[in-house]
Amino acid sequence: MTDTASLDAVQRWMQSVILRPTGEDPGHTITASSRQSARERLMVHQQGYRLRLLECMRSLHPGSAQLLGREIFDGFALDYLDAHPSRSPVLAGLSAGFAGHLARTRPDAAPGAEREGWIDLLIDLIRCERAFTDVLDAPGTEDGTSPVPPLRLLRVCAPVHAYLAAVHRGEDPEPPPPRPVRLALTRRNFTVVTRELSPAAYERLCAASPPAPISEESP
Amino acid sequence: MSEPRLGMPHLGFGVGLRTPHLAYIRRHLPPVGFFEIISENFLDARGGRRHALTEIAERYPVVLHGVSLSVGSTDPLDLGYLRRLKRLADEVRAPWVSDHVCWTGVLGLNTHDLLPLPFTEETLAHVVRRVRVVQDVLERPLVLENPSSYVEFRASTLTEWEFLGRMAEEADCGLLLDVNNVHVSAFNHDFDPVRYLRELPHERVVQMHLAGHTHYGTHIVDTHDAPVAEPVWELYRLAAELTGGVSTLLERDDKLPPFPELLAELDRARERSPAPVGSGAHD
Repeated sequence: MTDTASLDAVQRWMQSVILRPTGEDPGHTITASSRQSARERLMVHQQGYRLRLLECMRSLHPGSAQLLGREIFDGFALDYLDAHPSRSPVLAGLSAGFAGHLARTRPDAAPGAEREGWIDLLIDLIRCERAFTDVLDAPGTEDGTSPVPPLRLLRVCAPVHAYLAAVHRGEDPEPPPPRPVRLALTRRNFTVVTRELSPAAYERLCAASPPAPISEESP
Repeated sequence: MSEPRLGMPHLGFGVGLRTPHLAYIRRHLPPVGFFEIISENFLDARGGRRHALTEIAERYPVVLHGVSLSVGSTDPLDLGYLRRLKRLADEVRAPWVSDHVCWTGVLGLNTHDLLPLPFTEETLAHVVRRVRVVQDVLERPLVLENPSSYVEFRASTLTEWEFLGRMAEEADCGLLLDVNNVHVSAFNHDFDPVRYLRELPHERVVQMHLAGHTHYGTHIVDTHDAPVAEPVWELYRLAAELTGGVSTLLERDDKLPPFPELLAELDRARERSPAPVGSGAHD
C-alpha cells in the first residue's frame, strides 16, 4: 500500500471509463451538480477525449479524411486510438502506428476475401502523410540542426503525393488511379518537397542512405 | 510572505503563439508584451515552426505552457520529458514554465485531457512533492494553472482555492490564474468565483490567462474558440486589483481570428489592469 493508494485507484478507474466507457453509474466516485448527474458530468470528459484526438488525427491526415469522408475516417481513427492509446506527451506522433494498424486489421484480410485496392490506397496515403509530418519537423540544414536535409523514401501503390498536394491546396481531387510510384520527400527552405523517382534513382538513393525509420513502422 | 509574483517580471499583455499567426508576427512585430507557446508543440519540432520561434524569442519574452507534465498523476514523473522541456526553456530563455494542476494519464498512457484531481491531503502531499522535483530539474519556477473542470470527487475534503493556495505555499511555486477557468468551474460546480479569487494567495500569482468558452446550458466548456465573455472580464478586473496586476495572456486555440483582432481584445485587458512597470519586450 503506497501513500497515494486512493489517488491511484481514482485515477485508474477514471482513465479506464474515459478510454472505454461502460454503463456503470459513476456516482460512487463523482458527485452530481445542481444541473447534471454524475454520469452526465463524466460524459464531458468521455466525449472530450475522443473529440480532441479525432481533431488531431484529422489535422495530421487531411488527405485520408477527405478521401474517406469524415464519418468513415473517424471510425478508422477511433478503432486505431482504442487499440493504441497515446503514450507520448506530444500529439504530433499520435498517428505513428495508424498505417501499421490498418495494414494488420484491414477489412479485406479475412480468409478468402478479395483484396480491395482502396485499402492499399488509404494505407499508402496515410504513410505519405506521416512522412510529410516527419520531414516537416525533422532537423535540417536550413538552421544547421543537421548536416543533411531530412529524407524519406516511399514505395506506394498510386500517386498519393499528388492527391495530398491537391488537398493541401484546398481542392477536392479524384482518388488517384493505381500505379507503382517511388517517392522521395525532403525539405528546402523549411518547405517539404516531394519528388517522384525512377526505379533506378530510388534504388540508388536507398543504397546511399538507408531509409530513415518512418514513424508508421513503430507504433 | 513571498515576493510578489515570486520575483518574476511583469511581462505585460501577451498572446498565445499559434502557427497560423507566425507569418503576421514575423512581418509586423506587433506590440505584444510576450508570447506563450504550448511546450509540447515545439519539443520535437525542428522545422520552420521552430525556426520561427527562435526568431520571435530573440525579440519577445517567451514563456512555456505545457499540457503533459501530469503533475498530479501517480505514475512516476517523466524525466525524459522534463529534460526536453528544460532544453526548450533554456533555448528560448523562458523566465518560467507553466502547466496545470491536473493529471493526464496513468499506466504509461496519456489521454491528452487535463483531468481533475480529488482535493485531499493525500493529493496535496503528492503534488507538492512532485512540484519540488520539477522545479529542481527545470531550474526555474513552475507556475501551475487552475484547469477548468467538469467533475468533482466525493473524496475531496478541500476546496479548489484551498488546495491551490496550500500547494503554492508548501511547494514554493507560482500560480497561473486562469480567470475563464474560474468562471467555468464556478458555474459547473456551483461555487462563488469571487470568493475563489479573494481567498487565493495573490502574491503567488505570476500570470493570468483569459479565454473564451462555450455555454451548454447545463455546463460550460473551456473551448478557447471565442472572445472573452463579459462575466470573465468582470472577474479579471477583480483579479487584477487583488494581485496588483500580473503578466496576462489571451489564449485562443480554435476559430482563430486575424491577429489584429486579438490585439484589440488584449487592449480590453490593459484597460482593466494596473499598468506594468517597464515593458516585457526586449530592448
